[in-house]
Amino acid sequence: MIEVKNLVKTYRDGEVETNVLKGVDFKAENGEFIAIMGRSGAGKSTLLYQMSLLDDPTSGEIIIDEQDAHKMDSEQKTKFRLQKCGYVFQDYALVPELTSLENVVLPILMQRVEKPKAYDMAKEALLKVGLSHRLNNLPSQLSGGEQQRVSIARAIAHKPKILFADEPTANLDNESSAKIMEIFTGLHKGGQTIIMVTHEEAYSQMAEKVVKIDDGKIISIINT
Amino acid sequence: MFSIVDVKIGFFLAIRQIRRASIWTTGLIVFIMVLTFLNLVVLSGILVGLIEGSIEGWHEQYTGDILISNLDNKTYIEGSNNIINILRNIPEVGPMSPRFIKGVSLEANYQTKKDTDKANTASGQLIGINPSAEDEVTGLASHILEGSYLTPTDYDKVMLGYFLLDQYITIDSPDFTVLKNVNIGTKIRINIDGTPKEVTVKGILKSKIDNVSRGIYMVDSQVKNLIGRDDGNFGQIAVNLKNNADPLEVKEKLILSGVDKVAKVQTYVDAQPKFLKDIINTFNILGNVLSSLGLIVSSITIFIVIFVNAITRRKFIGILKGIGINGRAIEMSYVLQSVFYAFFGSIIGVTLVYFVLVPLFRAYPIDFPFSDGILVAPLNGTLIRMGLLVLSTIIAGYIPARMIVRKNTLDSILGRN
Repeated sequence: MIEVKNLVKTYRDGEVETNVLKGVDFKAENGEFIAIMGRSGAGKSTLLYQMSLLDDPTSGEIIIDEQDAHKMDSEQKTKFRLQKCGYVFQDYALVPELTSLENVVLPILMQRVEKPKAYDMAKEALLKVGLSHRLNNLPSQLSGGEQQRVSIARAIAHKPKILFADEPTANLDNESSAKIMEIFTGLHKGGQTIIMVTHEEAYSQMAEKVVKIDDGKIISIINT
Repeated sequence: MFSIVDVKIGFFLAIRQIRRASIWTTGLIVFIMVLTFLNLVVLSGILVGLIEGSIEGWHEQYTGDILISNLDNKTYIEGSNNIINILRNIPEVGPMSPRFIKGVSLEANYQTKKDTDKANTASGQLIGINPSAEDEVTGLASHILEGSYLTPTDYDKVMLGYFLLDQYITIDSPDFTVLKNVNIGTKIRINIDGTPKEVTVKGILKSKIDNVSRGIYMVDSQVKNLIGRDDGNFGQIAVNLKNNADPLEVKEKLILSGVDKVAKVQTYVDAQPKFLKDIINTFNILGNVLSSLGLIVSSITIFIVIFVNAITRRKFIGILKGIGINGRAIEMSYVLQSVFYAFFGSIIGVTLVYFVLVPLFRAYPIDFPFSDGILVAPLNGTLIRMGLLVLSTIIAGYIPARMIVRKNTLDSILGRN
């Protein structure tokens, strides 16, 4: 489903060049739950951003759902992200002026789904994450855990091919984190492909494959 | 180009951002738009209204709706009574005031003057009127500053415009002399073609219309004899029309009746002095220049507001792009917000202009030295300005939104420069 070949990402700041990814090769199949682990600055989030088409690599190849990302322009990438990807960010990344339901329904409406159907899909996703009672609350009226669950509902409502999660439990307490991971496990059992960056050894063990990265290179891929 | 879904999503985002934004911020932006709108409409409206006040004064206090006057090569209107009969047969014609007109000089304090003293003189137009007819057409009686208005039986009595009297005007020009020590009851001489006639000042008139404020009014029957107009031919006929009839149509009827062969037939617009027309054009240009500057200022204001709004929300714009929302839909949301601010500000502005300011200026005109300034805001001009404001706001809202939306998605999400 996703294949990354010799992926390089270099950041330039004036004269200074920082090589964050130094030729990464990686493959994820349909329905896999993969955890990417590594210490801070190892390049795990950068790898996730390249794979999820949020950023452009300096060189290398990304084949995602049989499409060559290199050949897509910015607009095609946006459309691809809308239709095929779901995102869960560390800081929830909800639009503050939109209620839970509105945050979730927005990308569905963007896909030209009829309004009543879109709202039904959004409600179903919120029900799945246990927030059917918080439909009309603004993010500021929700706890961190609840906000992250809205974020997950937004990411899965349109049934994406791949769900990308960047340290989804980093800002949460243990109880909320456990709940989030429980949702992820449930989604995976339902056949959802998930690629998750995490620091937490315990949560990485819930994935079926753990990719360890250090200094811009994959150092191990372990099946749990 | 924006697709329908871009517009729908833009609308979805815009309406919620406006609804859930701080009421104070929204209120402040709308207030700025109201001020900008008023700047566009009121500033030029007052400039034009300043002259419009003068024109209205000219219309209401001197010419009436139609002014019939002598041809350039004549000192009177030949066959005046025929013209009056023609006028009476036109159904739209209301009250009219025929006037005898003669240029005269005035002299005061001639009884106490020594041979070596300079004569106390002034000059002006002697206007012979039927007091009640003139009042019906021009409301002349309401301009009495001191003393009282003429009655039809007044003999050897005059009303003087206050520009002829030293105590009201302090112009020290050799070409413009005024009478000193003349008050109500003072006897003065009117010199008509070298023949003096002693009269008593009965009233003093104050008006911002020169022809009134420099006029010397007497009862028509006496003026007719003094100037030797035994044929009864008048110098001017001021005519008012009934029921807001169109002066141009009545003018056409008079021309068809051949009145233009013996007299000048002018609507009150035709009869405006050329300098007034020139000033109107000048002020219109000035008003447009000031409006354009106002438009630029408002555009910059909206640009800054939207830019600050977009830059503080850059992270969320990045997230929206990240989850697949089209950049154009996000731009549309900012454009629609700008339109909301401009439209709502304009609607409040229009309400203020037409329901508060125009009636207020009409009731309490600005007391300019040469006119009672009103606020002129023709609806079509106001709508054009409103359209320009909305258009400039759309552009001013779109540019900063586009600048922010075009930034790298990940940089926006992570807050990187």
